[in-house]
Amino acid sequence: MQLGFLVDLHMCMGCKGCEVACKVENEVPLSTWRLRVKYVDTGVFPETKRTFTPLRCNHCANAPCVRICPVSALHYLDNGIVNIDNERCIGCAGCMMACPYGAIYIDPQTQTADKCTYCAHRIASSMMPACVVACPVQANIFGDLDDATSNISKYIMDAGSDLQVRKPEKGTFPHHFYVGGGNVTLNPLASFRAEGHSLFNNLTHLPVGGH
Amino acid sequence: MVHDALAATNAVVTLDVALPSVIWGWIITMNMWAKSIGTGIIFVAFYMLKKYPNEAGFIRLPTAIISFIFINMFLLFTVIDLHQMFRFWHIFFHPNFTSAITVGAWMATLFMGLLMGLLYASFIKKDTALFDKILLPTVILAVPVTLYTAGLMAQSTARELWQMPTESVQMILAATLSGSAVMLLIANKLPYEARRDLGLVLAFSGSAAFIIYMAELVFGPMKAEEVAVTLEAIKGHGEYTSMFWIGQVLGFILPTVLVILSVTNRTEGLLKLAAVSALVGLWITKHVWLVIPQLLNLS
Repeated sequence: MQLGFLVDLHMCMGCKGCEVACKVENEVPLSTWRLRVKYVDTGVFPETKRTFTPLRCNHCANAPCVRICPVSALHYLDNGIVNIDNERCIGCAGCMMACPYGAIYIDPQTQTADKCTYCAHRIASSMMPACVVACPVQANIFGDLDDATSNISKYIMDAGSDLQVRKPEKGTFPHHFYVGGGNVTLNPLASFRAEGHSLFNNLTHLPVGGH
Repeated sequence: MVHDALAATNAVVTLDVALPSVIWGWIITMNMWAKSIGTGIIFVAFYMLKKYPNEAGFIRLPTAIISFIFINMFLLFTVIDLHQMFRFWHIFFHPNFTSAITVGAWMATLFMGLLMGLLYASFIKKDTALFDKILLPTVILAVPVTLYTAGLMAQSTARELWQMPTESVQMILAATLSGSAVMLLIANKLPYEARRDLGLVLAFSGSAAFIIYMAELVFGPMKAEEVAVTLEAIKGHGEYTSMFWIGQVLGFILPTVLVILSVTNRTEGLLKLAAVSALVGLWITKHVWLVIPQLLNLS
Protein backbone atom coordinates (compact mmCIF):
# COMPACT_ATOMS: atom_id res chain seq x y z
CA MET A 1 0.00 0.00 0.00
CA GLN A 2 1.21 3.47 -0.86
CA LEU A 3 -1.08 6.22 0.30
CA GLY A 4 -1.11 9.44 -1.66
CA PHE A 5 -2.90 12.73 -2.08
CA LEU A 6 -4.15 14.63 -5.06
CA VAL A 7 -5.58 18.14 -5.05
CA ASP A 8 -7.70 19.21 -7.97
CA LEU A 9 -7.01 22.92 -8.13
CA HIS A 10 -9.83 23.36 -10.65
CA MET A 11 -12.19 22.51 -7.80
CA CYS A 12 -10.58 24.29 -4.85
CA MET A 13 -12.36 27.53 -3.96
CA GLY A 14 -10.09 28.59 -1.10
CA CYS A 15 -12.66 28.15 1.67
CA LYS A 16 -9.91 27.00 4.05
CA GLY A 17 -12.21 24.32 5.44
CA CYS A 18 -9.35 21.81 5.15
CA GLU A 19 -7.00 24.16 6.97
CA VAL A 20 -9.39 24.62 9.87
CA ALA A 21 -10.28 20.92 10.03
CA CYS A 22 -6.59 20.05 10.20
CA LYS A 23 -5.99 22.57 12.97
CA VAL A 24 -8.85 21.17 15.02
CA GLU A 25 -8.18 17.48 14.38
CA ASN A 26 -4.48 17.67 15.18
CA GLU A 27 -4.60 20.48 17.75
CA VAL A 28 -2.06 22.44 15.77
CA PRO A 29 -0.89 25.36 17.93
CA LEU A 30 -1.24 29.02 17.04
CA SER A 31 1.30 30.35 14.55
CA THR A 32 1.93 26.92 13.04
CA TRP A 33 0.23 25.02 10.23
CA ARG A 34 0.30 21.47 8.89
CA LEU A 35 -1.87 22.48 5.99
CA ARG A 36 -2.50 25.91 4.62
CA VAL A 37 -4.20 27.39 1.59
CA LYS A 38 -2.23 30.08 -0.20
CA TYR A 39 -3.95 32.70 -2.34
CA VAL A 40 -2.12 34.09 -5.34
CA ASP A 41 -3.75 36.74 -7.54
CA THR A 42 -2.78 37.14 -11.16
CA GLY A 43 -3.50 39.66 -13.88
CA VAL A 44 -4.42 43.35 -13.82
CA PHE A 45 -7.86 44.70 -12.92
CA PRO A 46 -10.41 44.00 -14.33
CA GLU A 47 -8.77 40.91 -15.90
CA THR A 48 -7.76 39.24 -12.65
CA LYS A 49 -7.87 35.75 -11.29
CA ARG A 50 -7.36 34.33 -7.81
CA THR A 51 -5.74 30.93 -7.40
CA PHE A 52 -5.88 28.73 -4.30
CA THR A 53 -3.22 26.17 -3.43
CA PRO A 54 -3.48 23.86 -0.42
CA LEU A 55 0.08 23.13 0.77
CA ARG A 56 1.00 20.24 3.06
CA CYS A 57 3.70 17.59 3.50
CA ASN A 58 4.34 15.71 0.25
CA HIS A 59 5.17 12.37 1.92
CA CYS A 60 8.03 11.91 -0.52
CA ALA A 61 9.26 8.49 -1.62
CA ASN A 62 12.81 9.83 -1.20
CA ALA A 63 12.17 12.06 1.81
CA PRO A 64 15.11 14.34 2.73
CA CYS A 65 13.63 14.79 6.21
CA VAL A 66 13.79 11.04 6.92
CA ARG A 67 17.37 10.92 5.69
CA ILE A 68 18.60 13.86 7.77
CA CYS A 69 16.76 13.07 11.02
CA PRO A 70 19.50 11.93 13.43
CA VAL A 71 17.21 9.86 15.62
CA SER A 72 14.70 8.42 13.11
CA ALA A 73 11.92 10.49 14.64
CA LEU A 74 10.81 10.94 11.04
CA HIS A 75 10.12 7.53 9.60
CA TYR A 76 8.03 5.69 7.04
CA LEU A 77 4.93 3.76 7.99
CA ASP A 78 4.09 0.59 6.08
CA ASN A 79 1.40 2.48 4.16
CA GLY A 80 3.98 4.99 2.84
CA ILE A 81 3.11 7.83 5.21
CA VAL A 82 6.08 9.84 6.48
CA ASN A 83 5.27 9.91 10.17
CA ILE A 84 6.93 11.70 13.10
CA ASP A 85 7.56 10.50 16.62
CA ASN A 86 7.45 13.57 18.88
CA GLU A 87 8.78 11.63 21.84
CA ARG A 88 11.97 10.79 19.99
CA CYS A 89 12.55 14.14 18.22
CA ILE A 90 15.43 16.19 19.67
CA GLY A 91 14.43 19.42 17.93
CA CYS A 92 17.60 19.86 15.89
CA ALA A 93 15.54 21.33 13.01
CA GLY A 94 17.58 19.42 10.47
CA CYS A 95 14.31 18.33 8.84
CA MET A 96 13.29 21.97 8.45
CA MET A 97 16.55 22.62 6.63
CA ALA A 98 16.05 19.58 4.41
CA CYS A 99 12.38 19.80 3.45
CA PRO A 100 12.22 21.67 0.12
CA TYR A 101 8.54 22.39 0.68
CA GLY A 102 8.74 24.15 4.03
CA ALA A 103 6.22 21.64 5.36
CA ILE A 104 7.81 21.07 8.79
CA TYR A 105 7.61 23.36 11.79
CA ILE A 106 8.73 23.37 15.42
CA ASP A 107 5.70 22.96 17.65
CA PRO A 108 5.98 25.81 20.19
CA GLN A 109 4.35 23.68 22.88
CA THR A 110 6.27 20.42 22.57
CA GLN A 111 9.45 22.02 21.16
CA THR A 112 9.65 19.22 18.62
CA ALA A 113 9.27 19.07 14.86
CA ASP A 114 5.82 18.37 13.50
CA LYS A 115 4.04 18.18 10.18
CA CYS A 116 1.13 16.69 8.27
CA THR A 117 0.92 12.94 8.79
CA TYR A 118 -2.04 12.44 6.42
CA CYS A 119 -3.90 12.01 9.74
CA ALA A 120 -2.15 8.66 10.31
CA HIS A 121 -4.17 8.12 13.48
CA ARG A 122 -7.42 8.39 11.53
CA ILE A 123 -6.12 6.14 8.75
CA ALA A 124 -5.33 3.52 11.39
CA SER A 125 -9.02 3.62 12.32
CA SER A 126 -10.10 3.35 8.66
CA MET A 127 -11.14 7.00 8.49
CA MET A 128 -10.21 9.59 5.90
CA PRO A 129 -7.90 12.50 6.80
CA ALA A 130 -9.77 15.41 8.38
CA CYS A 131 -9.07 17.74 5.46
CA VAL A 132 -10.62 15.29 2.98
CA VAL A 133 -13.78 15.03 5.03
CA ALA A 134 -14.05 18.80 5.43
CA CYS A 135 -13.62 19.72 1.75
CA PRO A 136 -17.06 20.77 0.42
CA VAL A 137 -16.17 20.18 -3.23
CA GLN A 138 -14.05 17.01 -2.96
CA ALA A 139 -10.96 18.78 -4.24
CA ASN A 140 -8.83 16.58 -1.96
CA ILE A 141 -8.53 13.05 -3.32
CA PHE A 142 -6.89 10.55 -1.01
CA GLY A 143 -6.20 6.86 -1.48
CA ASP A 144 -3.91 3.99 -2.35
CA LEU A 145 -1.60 4.69 -5.25
CA ASP A 146 -0.78 1.00 -5.57
CA ASP A 147 -4.41 0.15 -6.21
CA ALA A 148 -5.28 0.84 -9.85
CA THR A 149 -8.97 0.88 -9.00
CA SER A 150 -8.71 3.52 -6.28
CA ASN A 151 -10.21 6.93 -6.85
CA ILE A 152 -6.82 8.65 -6.76
CA SER A 153 -5.33 6.22 -9.29
CA LYS A 154 -8.22 6.80 -11.69
CA TYR A 155 -7.85 10.57 -11.22
CA ILE A 156 -4.14 10.33 -12.01
CA MET A 157 -4.78 8.28 -15.14
CA ASP A 158 -7.38 10.77 -16.35
CA ALA A 159 -5.27 13.82 -15.56
CA GLY A 160 -2.48 12.91 -17.97
CA SER A 161 -0.12 15.82 -18.53
CA ASP A 162 -2.18 18.02 -16.22
CA LEU A 163 -0.74 16.10 -13.28
CA GLN A 164 2.06 17.88 -11.42
CA VAL A 165 4.14 17.70 -8.27
CA ARG A 166 5.98 20.50 -6.52
CA LYS A 167 9.70 20.90 -7.28
CA PRO A 168 10.21 17.64 -9.21
CA GLU A 169 13.82 18.67 -9.81
CA LYS A 170 14.61 17.94 -6.15
CA GLY A 171 14.26 14.20 -6.77
CA THR A 172 12.07 13.67 -3.73
CA PHE A 173 9.30 11.89 -5.68
CA PRO A 174 6.31 13.32 -3.78
CA HIS A 175 3.23 11.22 -3.17
CA HIS A 176 1.20 14.41 -3.31
CA PHE A 177 -0.08 15.52 -6.69
CA TYR A 178 -1.84 18.53 -8.14
CA VAL A 179 -4.18 18.75 -11.09
CA GLY A 180 -4.75 22.13 -12.68
CA GLY A 181 -1.65 23.69 -11.17
CA GLY A 182 0.85 25.95 -12.85
CA ASN A 183 4.02 27.86 -12.27
CA VAL A 184 2.26 30.52 -10.24
CA THR A 185 0.50 28.06 -7.94
CA LEU A 186 3.30 25.53 -7.41
CA ASN A 187 6.50 27.58 -7.66
CA PRO A 188 6.90 29.94 -4.68
CA LEU A 189 9.41 32.03 -6.62
CA ALA A 190 6.92 32.76 -9.40
CA SER A 191 4.81 35.19 -7.43
CA PHE A 192 5.58 38.47 -5.76
CA ARG A 193 5.46 38.31 -2.00
CA ALA A 194 5.50 41.83 -0.66
CA GLU A 195 6.18 42.78 2.93
CA GLY A 196 2.82 43.01 4.64
CA HIS A 197 1.35 40.86 1.87
CA SER A 198 -1.46 39.36 3.86
CA LEU A 199 -5.03 40.57 3.46
CA PHE A 200 -5.61 40.37 7.17
CA ASN A 201 -2.38 41.23 8.94
CA ASN A 202 1.13 42.56 8.51
CA LEU A 203 2.99 39.61 9.95
CA THR A 204 5.46 38.20 7.44
CA HIS A 205 7.82 36.15 9.58
CA LEU A 206 7.43 34.33 12.86
CA PRO A 207 10.18 33.30 15.25
CA VAL A 208 10.83 29.57 15.35
CA GLY A 209 9.54 28.25 18.67
CA GLY A 210 12.00 28.31 21.55
CA HIS A 211 14.71 30.51 20.03
CA MET B 1 11.71 37.43 -2.95
CA VAL B 2 10.72 37.16 -6.54
CA HIS B 3 12.70 35.83 -9.42
CA ASP B 4 10.63 33.88 -11.86
CA ALA B 5 7.58 36.13 -11.78
CA LEU B 6 6.51 37.48 -15.13
CA ALA B 7 5.24 41.03 -15.31
CA ALA B 8 2.51 39.82 -17.64
CA THR B 9 1.03 37.49 -15.03
CA ASN B 10 1.41 40.04 -12.25
CA ALA B 11 1.26 37.20 -9.73
CA VAL B 12 1.00 38.45 -6.16
CA VAL B 13 0.56 36.48 -2.95
CA THR B 14 -2.52 38.00 -1.37
CA LEU B 15 -3.14 35.66 1.53
CA ASP B 16 -0.78 33.27 3.22
CA VAL B 17 0.61 32.42 6.60
CA ALA B 18 3.70 34.12 8.00
CA LEU B 19 6.91 32.35 7.09
CA PRO B 20 9.32 30.91 9.68
CA SER B 21 12.26 33.17 10.34
CA VAL B 22 15.89 32.02 10.51
CA ILE B 23 16.06 28.51 12.00
CA TRP B 24 19.80 27.99 12.39
CA GLY B 25 21.28 31.26 13.62
CA TRP B 26 24.35 32.45 15.52
CA ILE B 27 24.51 29.34 17.71
CA ILE B 28 25.21 27.20 14.66
CA THR B 29 27.69 29.81 13.43
CA MET B 30 29.51 29.46 16.75
CA ASN B 31 29.34 25.70 16.36
CA MET B 32 31.04 25.77 12.93
CA TRP B 33 33.57 28.43 13.91
CA ALA B 34 34.64 26.64 17.08
CA LYS B 35 34.95 23.32 15.26
CA SER B 36 37.15 24.93 12.62
CA ILE B 37 39.56 26.03 15.32
CA GLY B 38 39.34 22.75 17.23
CA THR B 39 40.30 20.59 14.25
CA GLY B 40 42.36 23.19 12.40
CA ILE B 41 44.89 23.55 15.18
CA ILE B 42 45.43 19.78 15.10
CA PHE B 43 46.24 19.91 11.37
CA VAL B 44 48.61 22.82 11.84
CA ALA B 45 50.30 21.33 14.90
CA PHE B 46 50.92 18.10 13.01
CA TYR B 47 52.55 20.06 10.20
CA MET B 48 54.69 22.08 12.63
CA LEU B 49 55.83 18.98 14.55
CA LYS B 50 56.81 17.21 11.33
CA LYS B 51 58.65 20.14 9.80
CA TYR B 52 60.19 21.66 12.94
CA PRO B 53 60.40 18.71 15.38
CA ASN B 54 62.97 20.35 17.65
CA GLU B 55 61.74 23.93 17.71
CA ALA B 56 57.99 23.17 17.81
CA GLY B 57 57.99 20.57 20.60
CA PHE B 58 56.49 23.00 23.10
CA ILE B 59 53.23 23.35 21.11
CA ARG B 60 52.01 19.87 22.09
CA LEU B 61 50.29 20.83 25.34
CA PRO B 62 48.79 24.16 24.14
CA THR B 63 47.51 22.42 21.00
CA ALA B 64 45.76 19.73 23.04
CA ILE B 65 44.26 22.31 25.42
CA ILE B 66 43.00 24.63 22.69
CA SER B 67 41.57 21.84 20.59
CA PHE B 68 39.87 20.38 23.67
CA ILE B 69 38.35 23.74 24.60
CA PHE B 70 37.07 24.55 21.13
CA ILE B 71 35.70 21.07 20.41
CA ASN B 72 33.86 21.30 23.72
CA MET B 73 32.55 24.71 22.67
CA PHE B 74 31.42 23.16 19.40
CA LEU B 75 29.61 20.38 21.26
CA LEU B 76 28.08 22.83 23.71
CA PHE B 77 26.66 25.00 20.92
CA THR B 78 25.44 21.87 19.14
CA VAL B 79 23.48 20.83 22.20
CA ILE B 80 22.10 24.22 23.19
CA ASP B 81 20.71 24.75 19.70
CA LEU B 82 18.47 21.73 20.12
CA HIS B 83 14.90 22.56 21.04
CA GLN B 84 14.95 19.44 23.22
CA MET B 85 18.53 19.55 24.45
CA PHE B 86 17.99 17.00 27.22
CA ARG B 87 17.16 14.41 24.58
CA PHE B 88 20.62 14.69 23.06
CA TRP B 89 21.34 11.15 24.18
CA HIS B 90 18.80 9.89 21.62
CA ILE B 91 21.54 10.32 19.01
CA PHE B 92 23.50 7.56 20.68
CA PHE B 93 20.63 5.26 21.60
CA HIS B 94 18.33 5.78 18.58
CA PRO B 95 20.89 6.61 15.89
CA ASN B 96 19.99 7.02 12.24
CA PHE B 97 23.25 6.57 10.37
CA THR B 98 21.99 8.08 7.12
CA SER B 99 22.08 11.42 8.93
CA ALA B 100 25.25 13.50 8.85
CA ILE B 101 24.26 14.79 12.30
CA THR B 102 24.45 11.29 13.77
CA VAL B 103 27.68 10.35 12.02
CA GLY B 104 29.18 13.68 13.08
CA ALA B 105 28.14 13.27 16.70
CA TRP B 106 29.72 9.83 16.90
CA MET B 107 32.92 10.98 15.23
CA ALA B 108 33.15 14.08 17.39
CA THR B 109 32.76 11.92 20.50
CA LEU B 110 35.56 9.66 19.35
CA PHE B 111 37.63 12.71 18.50
CA MET B 112 37.05 14.04 21.99
CA GLY B 113 38.38 10.75 23.37
CA LEU B 114 41.56 11.14 21.34
CA LEU B 115 41.94 14.74 22.52
CA MET B 116 41.75 13.53 26.10
CA GLY B 117 44.47 11.08 25.18
CA LEU B 118 46.60 13.95 23.88
CA LEU B 119 45.99 15.87 27.10
CA TYR B 120 46.91 12.83 29.16
CA ALA B 121 50.12 12.31 27.19
CA SER B 122 51.21 15.95 27.27
CA PHE B 123 49.95 17.14 30.66
CA ILE B 124 50.00 14.14 32.98
CA LYS B 125 52.48 11.68 31.47
CA LYS B 126 54.57 14.33 29.70
CA ASP B 127 55.37 11.65 27.15
CA THR B 128 56.07 13.12 23.70
CA ALA B 129 56.33 9.70 22.05
CA LEU B 130 52.87 8.75 23.31
CA PHE B 131 51.53 12.16 22.23
CA ASP B 132 52.89 11.71 18.72
CA LYS B 133 51.46 8.19 18.57
CA ILE B 134 47.98 9.49 19.44
CA LEU B 135 48.35 12.56 17.22
CA LEU B 136 48.33 10.63 13.94
CA PRO B 137 44.87 9.03 14.40
CA THR B 138 43.67 12.37 15.78
CA VAL B 139 44.74 14.13 12.58
CA ILE B 140 43.10 11.44 10.45
CA LEU B 141 39.84 11.66 12.39
CA ALA B 142 39.98 15.46 12.32
CA VAL B 143 39.38 15.32 8.55
CA PRO B 144 35.89 13.73 8.67
CA VAL B 145 35.03 15.70 11.81
CA THR B 146 35.80 18.85 9.85
CA LEU B 147 33.90 17.67 6.80
CA TYR B 148 30.72 16.27 8.32
CA THR B 149 29.10 19.71 8.61
CA ALA B 150 29.50 20.02 4.85
CA GLY B 151 27.70 16.69 4.58
CA LEU B 152 24.92 18.06 6.76
CA MET B 153 24.65 21.15 4.59
CA ALA B 154 24.50 18.94 1.51
CA GLN B 155 21.69 16.93 3.10
CA SER B 156 19.82 20.19 3.66
CA THR B 157 18.04 19.73 0.35
CA ALA B 158 15.98 22.87 0.76
CA ARG B 159 19.07 25.10 0.82
CA GLU B 160 20.36 24.98 -2.73
CA LEU B 161 23.23 27.35 -1.98
CA TRP B 162 25.08 24.74 0.07
CA GLN B 163 26.59 22.37 -2.43
CA MET B 164 28.98 19.48 -2.20
CA PRO B 165 31.92 19.37 -2.72
CA THR B 166 32.27 23.15 -2.45
CA GLU B 167 31.25 23.21 1.20
CA SER B 168 33.72 20.46 2.12
CA VAL B 169 36.56 22.45 0.56
CA GLN B 170 35.40 25.54 2.44
CA MET B 171 35.30 23.56 5.70
CA ILE B 172 38.88 22.36 5.28
CA LEU B 173 40.04 25.85 4.31
CA ALA B 174 38.24 27.32 7.33
CA ALA B 175 40.05 24.80 9.54
CA THR B 176 43.51 25.54 8.14
CA LEU B 177 42.79 29.28 8.21
CA SER B 178 41.63 29.35 11.82
CA GLY B 179 44.14 26.71 12.97
CA SER B 180 47.09 28.67 11.59
CA ALA B 181 45.63 31.92 12.96
CA VAL B 182 45.34 30.55 16.49
CA MET B 183 48.79 28.98 16.30
CA LEU B 184 50.23 32.34 15.25
CA LEU B 185 48.61 33.93 18.29
CA ILE B 186 49.84 31.39 20.85
CA ALA B 187 53.20 30.13 19.57
CA ASN B 188 55.44 33.16 19.95
CA LYS B 189 58.46 30.98 20.60
CA LEU B 190 58.38 29.39 17.16
CA PRO B 191 61.29 30.42 14.91
CA TYR B 192 60.61 33.00 12.20
CA GLU B 193 60.59 30.37 9.44
CA ALA B 194 57.87 28.39 11.21
CA ARG B 195 55.78 31.53 11.79
CA ARG B 196 56.25 32.52 8.16
CA ASP B 197 55.01 29.06 7.16
CA LEU B 198 51.94 29.54 9.34
CA GLY B 199 51.37 32.91 7.69
CA LEU B 200 51.58 31.30 4.28
CA VAL B 201 49.06 28.61 5.27
CA LEU B 202 46.79 31.42 6.51
CA ALA B 203 47.18 33.41 3.30
CA PHE B 204 46.68 30.41 1.03
CA SER B 205 43.56 29.30 2.93
CA GLY B 206 42.14 32.82 2.93
CA SER B 207 42.75 33.49 -0.74
CA ALA B 208 41.44 30.06 -1.82
CA ALA B 209 38.28 30.51 0.27
CA PHE B 210 37.78 33.99 -1.18
CA ILE B 211 38.13 32.72 -4.76
CA ILE B 212 35.53 30.01 -4.12
CA TYR B 213 33.07 32.45 -2.55
CA MET B 214 33.49 34.82 -5.48
CA ALA B 215 33.01 31.98 -7.95
CA GLU B 216 29.77 31.00 -6.20
CA LEU B 217 28.65 34.61 -6.15
CA VAL B 218 29.20 35.06 -9.89
CA PHE B 219 28.42 31.63 -11.34
CA GLY B 220 25.98 30.16 -8.80
CA PRO B 221 22.99 32.16 -10.06
CA MET B 222 23.56 30.87 -13.59
CA LYS B 223 22.84 27.31 -12.48
CA ALA B 224 19.84 27.41 -10.21
CA GLU B 225 16.92 29.76 -9.66
CA GLU B 226 16.96 29.27 -5.89
CA VAL B 227 20.66 30.12 -5.68
CA ALA B 228 20.04 33.27 -7.68
CA VAL B 229 17.30 34.38 -5.30
CA THR B 230 19.38 33.47 -2.25
CA LEU B 231 22.39 35.43 -3.44
CA GLU B 232 20.27 38.53 -3.94
CA ALA B 233 20.60 38.92 -0.15
CA ILE B 234 24.31 39.69 -0.54
CA LYS B 235 24.20 41.63 -3.80
CA GLY B 236 23.44 45.31 -4.37
CA HIS B 237 21.34 46.59 -1.50
CA GLY B 238 20.71 43.11 -0.12
CA GLU B 239 19.96 42.59 3.55
CA TYR B 240 23.37 40.96 4.18
CA THR B 241 25.53 42.66 1.53
CA SER B 242 27.55 44.77 3.97
CA MET B 243 28.04 41.91 6.40
CA PHE B 244 29.14 39.59 3.61
CA TRP B 245 31.78 41.98 2.33
CA ILE B 246 33.02 42.83 5.82
CA GLY B 247 33.48 39.08 6.32
CA GLN B 248 35.31 38.67 3.03
CA VAL B 249 37.64 41.58 3.72
CA LEU B 250 38.41 40.71 7.34
CA GLY B 251 38.48 36.98 6.84
CA PHE B 252 40.33 36.58 3.60
CA ILE B 253 41.52 39.71 1.79
CA LEU B 254 43.12 41.62 4.67
CA PRO B 255 44.90 38.60 6.19
CA THR B 256 46.33 37.68 2.79
CA VAL B 257 47.61 41.22 2.22
CA LEU B 258 49.04 41.43 5.74
CA VAL B 259 50.85 38.11 5.35
CA ILE B 260 52.36 39.24 2.06
CA LEU B 261 53.49 42.49 3.68
CA SER B 262 54.84 40.60 6.68
CA VAL B 263 56.81 38.14 4.57
CA THR B 264 58.25 40.82 2.32
CA ASN B 265 59.16 43.13 5.22
CA ARG B 266 59.84 40.43 7.83
CA THR B 267 57.40 42.19 10.17
CA GLU B 268 56.04 39.60 12.59
CA GLY B 269 53.52 41.93 14.23
CA LEU B 270 51.47 41.95 11.06
CA LEU B 271 51.04 38.19 11.31
CA LYS B 272 49.18 38.56 14.60
CA LEU B 273 46.97 41.23 13.12
CA ALA B 274 46.27 38.95 10.16
CA ALA B 275 45.39 36.12 12.55
CA VAL B 276 42.89 38.17 14.56
CA SER B 277 41.33 39.58 11.41
CA ALA B 278 40.98 36.10 9.90
CA LEU B 279 39.23 34.70 12.97
CA VAL B 280 36.75 37.58 13.14
CA GLY B 281 36.11 37.56 9.39
CA LEU B 282 35.64 33.81 9.30
CA TRP B 283 32.85 34.02 11.89
CA ILE B 284 31.08 36.75 9.93
CA THR B 285 31.42 34.92 6.63
CA LYS B 286 30.18 31.64 8.07
CA HIS B 287 27.21 33.42 9.62
CA VAL B 288 26.13 35.11 6.40
CA TRP B 289 26.48 31.91 4.39
CA LEU B 290 24.46 30.06 7.02
CA VAL B 291 21.63 32.54 7.23
CA ILE B 292 20.94 33.70 3.67
CA PRO B 293 19.53 30.42 2.30
CA GLN B 294 17.08 30.45 5.17
CA LEU B 295 15.55 33.68 3.89
CA LEU B 296 14.26 31.83 0.84
CA ASN B 297 10.53 31.23 0.70
CA LEU B 298 10.09 27.49 0.18
CA SER B 299 6.38 27.19 -0.41
